[in-house]
Amino acid sequence: MAVAAAAARVWGSSRGLGQAGLLLLRRPGARGLARSLPQRQVQQHFPSLDDKPQFPGASAEFVDKLEFIQPNVISGIPVYRVMDRQGQIINPSEDPHLPQEKVLKFYKSMTLLNTMDRILYESQRQGRISFYMTNYGEEGTHVGSAAALDNTDLVFGQYREAAVGAAYAAKRANANRVVICYFGEGAASEGDAHAGFNFAATLECPIIFFCRNNGYAISTPTSEQYRGDGIAARGPGYGIMSIRVDGNDVFAVYNATKEARRRAVAENQPFLIEAMTYRIGHHSTSDDSSAYRSVDEVNYWDKQDHPISRLRHYLQSRGWWDEEQEKAWRKQSRKKVMEAFEQAERKPKPSPSLLFSDVYQEMPAQLRKQQEALARHLQTYGEHYPLDHFEK
Amino acid sequence: MAALAATAGGLLRLRAAGAEGQWRRLRGAGLLRGLLQPDSATGVAAQRRHVAHFTFQPDPEPQEYGQTQKMNLFQAVTSALDNSLAKDPTAVIFGEDVAFGGVFRCTVGLRDKYGKDRVFNTPLCEQGIVGFGIGIAVTGATAIAEIQFADYIFPAFDQIVNEAAKYRYRSGDLFNCGSLTIRAPWGCVGHGALYHSQSPEAFFAHCPGIKVVVPRSPFQAKGLLLSCIEDKNPCIFFEPKILYRAAVEQVPVEPYSIPLSQAEVIQEGSDVTLVAWGTQVHVIREVASMAQEKLGVSCEVIDLRTILPWDMDTVCKSVIKTGRLLISHEAPLTGGFASEISSTVQEECFLNLEAPISRVCGYDTPFPHIFEPFYIPDKWKCYDALRKMINY
Repeated sequence: MAVAAAAARVWGSSRGLGQAGLLLLRRPGARGLARSLPQRQVQQHFPSLDDKPQFPGASAEFVDKLEFIQPNVISGIPVYRVMDRQGQIINPSEDPHLPQEKVLKFYKSMTLLNTMDRILYESQRQGRISFYMTNYGEEGTHVGSAAALDNTDLVFGQYREAAVGAAYAAKRANANRVVICYFGEGAASEGDAHAGFNFAATLECPIIFFCRNNGYAISTPTSEQYRGDGIAARGPGYGIMSIRVDGNDVFAVYNATKEARRRAVAENQPFLIEAMTYRIGHHSTSDDSSAYRSVDEVNYWDKQDHPISRLRHYLQSRGWWDEEQEKAWRKQSRKKVMEAFEQAERKPKPSPSLLFSDVYQEMPAQLRKQQEALARHLQTYGEHYPLDHFEK
Repeated sequence: MAALAATAGGLLRLRAAGAEGQWRRLRGAGLLRGLLQPDSATGVAAQRRHVAHFTFQPDPEPQEYGQTQKMNLFQAVTSALDNSLAKDPTAVIFGEDVAFGGVFRCTVGLRDKYGKDRVFNTPLCEQGIVGFGIGIAVTGATAIAEIQFADYIFPAFDQIVNEAAKYRYRSGDLFNCGSLTIRAPWGCVGHGALYHSQSPEAFFAHCPGIKVVVPRSPFQAKGLLLSCIEDKNPCIFFEPKILYRAAVEQVPVEPYSIPLSQAEVIQEGSDVTLVAWGTQVHVIREVASMAQEKLGVSCEVIDLRTILPWDMDTVCKSVIKTGRLLISHEAPLTGGFASEISSTVQEECFLNLEAPISRVCGYDTPFPHIFEPFYIPDKWKCYDALRKMINY
């Protein structure tokens, strides 16, 4: 039977309690025996082969030299890419060899998004919508990853823990679905990310954690967001398969997501993809990023390393795209967005009575009373409210 | 020894001189007794295990739900969970330590019966537990999350208030997490102190979109829990931990449901309305007997059962009849749920009131350790408040 040789250690824990760790050895420790039993007992020596740690908490060898692990942020996890900055394939075996119409779809999706961003940003400046966030520079991360998913896969924007729960339910249902959860490098600092990662790993969930590391969380640069090697380096800490990719390389994003999807579903384990990119635009229409970064920095990314440009070069070098098509498509995509926008703008907003619906599946009596109170109030004071823009 | 005692006593008396008058002698005597002198010497009775401040009154055996079995409250919970997992193949139970049966034995036997993919432990992370549960529910599966003590629910507050409660509303009913139920042990237990005694229902009463339920007995617990699980809205089910073993009665073996948002008049009366929930119902029941016996006052006793959305009609109807209302809960007075009831009743029944509404609650302090017997709103405090109301 094991004789516990008590080596008291104080572990700092997040709940503020000290804990004494007990070393439980499979065989009696020499020192322990010598103290507790009469001196007749012979001190036993054990060969080093058997001398492996037995702690339930880790599988590792002993080391007898005091040495702290130095985090490596100078030479961090390498960035996987397929195309160079001019859109040329670097390693032909990594070329996904996608058919022309699929690659054109990538291009048109990214550029349509870009067009929509320009128009909607402007419309906010004109007061026609209240708020907008553009995607400038990050189009590759959205399109490359989305293209690698199935139509029935579940997409969560944020909601890291819920994404894991959904993945668990999909696994139980044998649904053959992956869940993908998008978040930024700022959101990765929230406890939600820690919880999501840990649950996904321990509960073996088919989920892709897709982190868009675009260099800024509003005005906070990555140097103030974390000190480790980005987000990808955290994955192994949770036991999660991880990769860092060039987010401005739509093929790299596509390849990584595709493979992650295949394995997440087949093996029921989470994957972490950190897509490195750059936020060319402001955080939102409420932000002016010239207050915290230089125009030169932004221009570099806009001109030298843009996902749309890189893909266009790839297309052009294959003869799948040219200036004329570019001109025509720009015009067409602008028209598409404007038409949709104007159609949406013409619709009146829903009736104010809907303010009270869907709080619960059924409307509780108390809420119905409040709904009626608002209706009566509007009968008397309606002129002070923008009722013209709303349905009756 | 005696000299030491005298010196210690002297020191204590010096220190105690600064304390409140009536506490002086008690404090000095207590410390001395603990350190140095046998009980008989001081004449102060040694405090052994704390006697409960209430007497559980079982309800008569229910006739209309088929065969019944003697169950305590945790067994009633197990029975409800067992029924749920048997009926609904998507239902899963998860939380800290639920696999082996749970720290309060509510999930004993369920993992063996339903499998490790349906009854499983999670890492120690309440925000993860609730967030994960939301995700499961979003896919349509039934999620039954356990928070080990209601005192630990606060890390999950953001998930409950900002995510679960708003899921249906913010998506215009495109998505919901209605099949989520969160269970947590609740309320004082004699020795729970700051972090094992809390009653946090008031924090959640302020959150439209969720339901909050507290049972007073095993029969009520099973029926209400089954209703919460069936309910198409996220529900929080607080289980009075002091009743887990102390409350025993006949409970139907088959599933049955008790409607939510319906208070129960458990005793009719004409002079005063008494309202409480959970353990406190048994306290006010006893107060009603005391009032009848000592004052000839007839009390109407109401178990609120659902805190949100609460049954205003039953309470108001009762107050219109009696003209007097006393509400009692362990949670602190300020901002406690009694204030909401009081506010609503004075709005709806102002002219019927014969006396100001009385609230007998915990003090505005954290839940104390050794001072628990002085902190809780026991029958004497309730009786005294009732007496004052009658004589108003």
